Amino acid sequence: MFRLPAIILSFLVAAFICGCDNDPNPAPYHKTRADGSPWRVRYMREPSDPKSFDPQFAYTVPDLQYMEPVYDRLLEYHPMKSDPIELMAGMLEEVPKKELQPDGKVNYLCRLKRDIHFHDDPCFPGGKGREVIAADVHYVLQRIADPKVESPYFAPLEQHVIGLHEAREKAIAKTGKFDYATPVSGFELLDSHTFRIRLIDSYPQLLFWMAMNTMSPVAREAVEYYDGETHDGKVRPKFRFYMVGQGPFRMRDYTPRRAIRYERVEGYHTNVFPSDGFPPEKAEWLKQFAGKPLPLFDELHILIVQETIPNFVLGRQGYLDSISADKDNFAAIITADQKLTPKYKARGMGLEKSGLPSTFFLSFNMQDPVVGKNVKLRKALACACDMRAYVEIFYNGVAPVSNQLVPRGLYGYDRNYVDPNGYNMEKAKRLLAEAGYPEGRDAKTGEQLVLTVEEPVESTEYRQRAEYQQRMFEALGIKIKVNENTFARVIERLEQGNFQLGDGTGWALDYPDPENFFMLFYSKNFPREGANYCRYSRPEFDQAYEQMAQMDNGPERLALIAKMNAMLAEDCPTIWQFDKAFYIATQPWARWTHNSPMIEYGYNKYHQVDTGQREKLRADWNRKPIWPPMALGGLLLAGIIYAVRWNRRHA
Amino acid sequence: MVSAFFNHWLTQDALVLACFSLVFLLLRAGARNERWQRAWVRMKRDRAGLIALAFVLLYLTIGALEILRIPANGGGTRSILDVFTAGVATEKSYSAPLGDKLLDSVRGEKVIGRHLLGTDLLGKDVFVQMLKACRTALIIGGMTSAIYVPLGALLGILAGYFRRRVDDAIQYIYTTLASIPEILLLVAIIMCSPWGKGLGTMSIALGVTGWVGLCRLIRGETMRQAERQYVAAAHALGQTHWKIIVRHLMPNVMHLVLISAVLGFSNIVLAEAILSYLGVGAPVGTASWGVMIDAGRTELGRDPLVWWNITAATTALFGLVLSLNILGDSLRSAFDPKRS
Amino acid sequence: MLSYLVRRLLYAVPILLGVIFITFLLDNVMMSPESKASRVLGPKGTGAVRREWIHNRGLDQPLPKQFVNYVGNLAKLEFGTSWVTGRELREVFLKGAGPSLAITIPGFIAAFFASVGLALFQVFVRNSPLDRGLTLLSVALMSVPTMVYVIFTQAFLALGLSYFPAYGFGDVGSGMLRFIALPIVIFMLINLGHDARLFRAIFLEEMGQDYIRTAQAKGLSNARVLGVHVFKNGLIAIITLVVAELPRLVLGSLLIESLFGIPGLGNVLVQAIQTGDQPVIMVSVFLGSVLYLGAFILTDILYALADPRIRLS
Repeated sequence: MFRLPAIILSFLVAAFICGCDNDPNPAPYHKTRADGSPWRVRYMREPSDPKSFDPQFAYTVPDLQYMEPVYDRLLEYHPMKSDPIELMAGMLEEVPKKELQPDGKVNYLCRLKRDIHFHDDPCFPGGKGREVIAADVHYVLQRIADPKVESPYFAPLEQHVIGLHEAREKAIAKTGKFDYATPVSGFELLDSHTFRIRLIDSYPQLLFWMAMNTMSPVAREAVEYYDGETHDGKVRPKFRFYMVGQGPFRMRDYTPRRAIRYERVEGYHTNVFPSDGFPPEKAEWLKQFAGKPLPLFDELHILIVQETIPNFVLGRQGYLDSISADKDNFAAIITADQKLTPKYKARGMGLEKSGLPSTFFLSFNMQDPVVGKNVKLRKALACACDMRAYVEIFYNGVAPVSNQLVPRGLYGYDRNYVDPNGYNMEKAKRLLAEAGYPEGRDAKTGEQLVLTVEEPVESTEYRQRAEYQQRMFEALGIKIKVNENTFARVIERLEQGNFQLGDGTGWALDYPDPENFFMLFYSKNFPREGANYCRYSRPEFDQAYEQMAQMDNGPERLALIAKMNAMLAEDCPTIWQFDKAFYIATQPWARWTHNSPMIEYGYNKYHQVDTGQREKLRADWNRKPIWPPMALGGLLLAGIIYAVRWNRRHA
Repeated sequence: MVSAFFNHWLTQDALVLACFSLVFLLLRAGARNERWQRAWVRMKRDRAGLIALAFVLLYLTIGALEILRIPANGGGTRSILDVFTAGVATEKSYSAPLGDKLLDSVRGEKVIGRHLLGTDLLGKDVFVQMLKACRTALIIGGMTSAIYVPLGALLGILAGYFRRRVDDAIQYIYTTLASIPEILLLVAIIMCSPWGKGLGTMSIALGVTGWVGLCRLIRGETMRQAERQYVAAAHALGQTHWKIIVRHLMPNVMHLVLISAVLGFSNIVLAEAILSYLGVGAPVGTASWGVMIDAGRTELGRDPLVWWNITAATTALFGLVLSLNILGDSLRSAFDPKRS
Repeated sequence: MLSYLVRRLLYAVPILLGVIFITFLLDNVMMSPESKASRVLGPKGTGAVRREWIHNRGLDQPLPKQFVNYVGNLAKLEFGTSWVTGRELREVFLKGAGPSLAITIPGFIAAFFASVGLALFQVFVRNSPLDRGLTLLSVALMSVPTMVYVIFTQAFLALGLSYFPAYGFGDVGSGMLRFIALPIVIFMLINLGHDARLFRAIFLEEMGQDYIRTAQAKGLSNARVLGVHVFKNGLIAIITLVVAELPRLVLGSLLIESLFGIPGLGNVLVQAIQTGDQPVIMVSVFLGSVLYLGAFILTDILYALADPRIRLS
């Protein structure tokens, strides 16, 4: 009768005792390397699952991070140089030079490094990865043109790369399916490793695209092999969910909603650790790595954690190699003067302040009959937003309040710029009256002005932001209706033009060029083609934009940018909110080796990990007190004694 | 025009008062029943039950004060509770209970006024928020009950009285509903509803899923009652079905409806908390215990720790649910002393 | 026995059809094909694309025909793909079932034994001040929202005292036990108040039976009477009540999985709710109902087996 329960109970008790270890990470693939030195693992965190691993399709920041260890890129951002950001050779032998043609067209001559191989994979004959050749880059351009791939990079590139647009038209003309026999005429194959890309006009940004996964070479064999169908009784994954790369790591395990694990590839030699550009404060320490083969560690573990709290806690317990600062731990980690707090400094942690330049703003619908036609109303609303107080609450006052389109840290940011629509409650009230709504009421009908704001609300934090934003506007005496939705739904509504004000809009750069930001207000980038959600359209602005986009950096370009800033201030299609500042506290055993603000690109192969120090500190940080189980046991015992005595008395 | 009429504060207040009076009248009508009078006599001796009743009434009063609106000075409206709490300052952000400084401020900024239970992220007084959240609980509880209690009771009586086809049909509907996990059905209804999320949608979803238990209970009791002699006698006297149901059956099952409604209210309040966590709960700007608890999820893991927000909400919610549970138990033993 | 089983299963068919009808109603009638298409296709979906999408999915056919297709797809276990991730739902649900079961089954068993243990203990010291205190405690435990249990246990046991991992999951062989320990504690807490109170009442009723008096008269010790006779006979009544625990099990695992990052069905569902992934929710409703119905049938059978007085014919 009691045997089964007893067995189950003892199993549960055993589970409990085993449970008393709080390390959430699985055991590494190996304990030591082949040469007996310790196996090094780096533990990272991403907030969401990958949507795709296809370099020509994937676009979101997490996806870039997931692909970075596996797919090398033609060019790279120098990991040490941040001011200014500098490109360096990746899979190419050098950064290509601009060749200006007599007819105004521009060519780039590119030379691939020799002896770079794809990873060994069953998709290759004999399972052995073949060498990466120039034809693979051509294949990449074809894939971008292939409508089936749904590459988001086609639209920006077709305007500049010769023959890309025609290739799409021609290749699908016959069957509707992309025919890969059709060449892209802007690609000129010179020999097995040399090629030339020809552009319609001057477009220096092409080099930035080369530094993105967009143009990472993929093997045609792999794309065709991984088709998601069943072959010989086995289902092959789709190429969108399977990586055959040429980089320093290969993906070994992926469990959705849990983790992705990578293992280093033996014999990677495309790049070595750079020997120049070290920032002075780290130069002494970095010298030891100069010229060393990459990667510096053996296994990469990316834990998928949606919530921000576990991220912080796991970091505190030493199970993640860095903690990114967010609303709830900002105060704990970072002081008002943007340094580490003493508590975390004492742990030996470091602080990385670099961040991907990005900016956030509220968008007005310029086609809306109420806010779109009334510039004074827009300005009144903009002046009512005390973004300093907002940032004080949600970013502990560290994220800089934004007053222009270009974020800090990017060329074209004007330090001395003063936004005429900055916070000023007096002015806001005055403007509102001039706009026809004194005290928030329609001057003619006396009715309270009601505006609707689209708010992305997927968590409590966003709820609180939405509420705060509402409160700021309502201080004007108007009424704000908040339309809560998921982020995807908000963007959808913005794209349909079905809104008055949209919150949560902003831009994180694709590449470090101001053109990447100003295109948000270019009238040819209305939604469905672009991200001009405001539907801002002004011919002078368009003209200035077109001119600015093709210029090299210089005073003339800055003058144009100033002109465009003035136009935006005059029309006020947005309310600038803040530039997001990324702060990352690094563990003492995983000091960052790189110094680039382009952290979205991962730089995994340059990272280092000191395993011995980690072991020691982890043990220190996870001491478990023994009084609670003792207390619980005592309570149980007391209960039993009481019961026995009571029973004896009342028997 | 119609919406302007319904959105007017006077109309809304009138509606709320009408609802309260309706509940009161129903209870008074019930109290004429002899069984209810006997139960009341027993109930008066049950001190725990009376204390619980007092607490429930207190919650109802606070909720009503927040629901009833009066015109505010600068245009618009505000609730009566707002008038009482007008003196409470809004801070910039978190501050500890009775603390004199803002929690996260490195510059040691002082708070404007003292707060018994501290303030939340947006600087709102937690104690006031806790009181205001009674409104959400009361609205959802009230609207849901208004949907599911008549529905469940009526269908239960019909099934129990008419049997056969009617019973089969009703049984089929509730067995089907009962075999869908409640929380999933709730979420599915809210997601697909054309009205978007809000307190109304939530109430409808809770009402649609909530009547099954009550219906089952009433059906059983009606069957038992219908076999009694007085029903047969009524039949023999040629009374219509309608009269038998209203005159004889209803008064004899109503006490079960009352007990279930009280216990059901506590389940609704608990469900609201879960739905808020899932993001299909109360809309932005509405104080709700569920939302406060959900905020506490991150606040308990942050550094420095914020415990007062979640603790206040949990305590308030716990107080109401516990009172309702004790009151329900006490009512049950008052009506049916043998079975407990 | 077999005929009973078959009858019981046949009885479930119309109910399952009813469930499908309800999901169909929510999925295809309450929400217009256009609004569905615009949600899925987003900005890319212009008029023609949208019409094609609707046509390809047969959403422009008459409703009865759509319903037949709907049932057919479910019968073939073709659940379609997620709106958000684009993955096959069948695969998603298959992969998620393992982790979900890994925490719910031990959690359920542990919660069951804890409640039975507490109930027996209370009957053992019945009517003592401790018994009364514990009964009050049970009511109090019942009145705390499930979410609060999950949040507080996570905050104190995993974050504060670091006994358990704060987040994550592992397979068998890579330390799965440590990840299921905390969910077990939480399941115990969630169910304890409600169950202990219920079980206590059942055991007390059993104590009043004649055979117990006889046993006591024979001089059997109190503990033995409780442990053997009362427990054994009360268990039959308890088994029928166990099905009533399923809702709390589903809800508990929903919250636990999403807060602890356990890659199970609950997590899938919470993500789907937060991102508005309707197909996932509809399939969950369907599968959840299948599970419930299965559990109802299983209890009926268990009950019939345990109690010879119930005839199977």
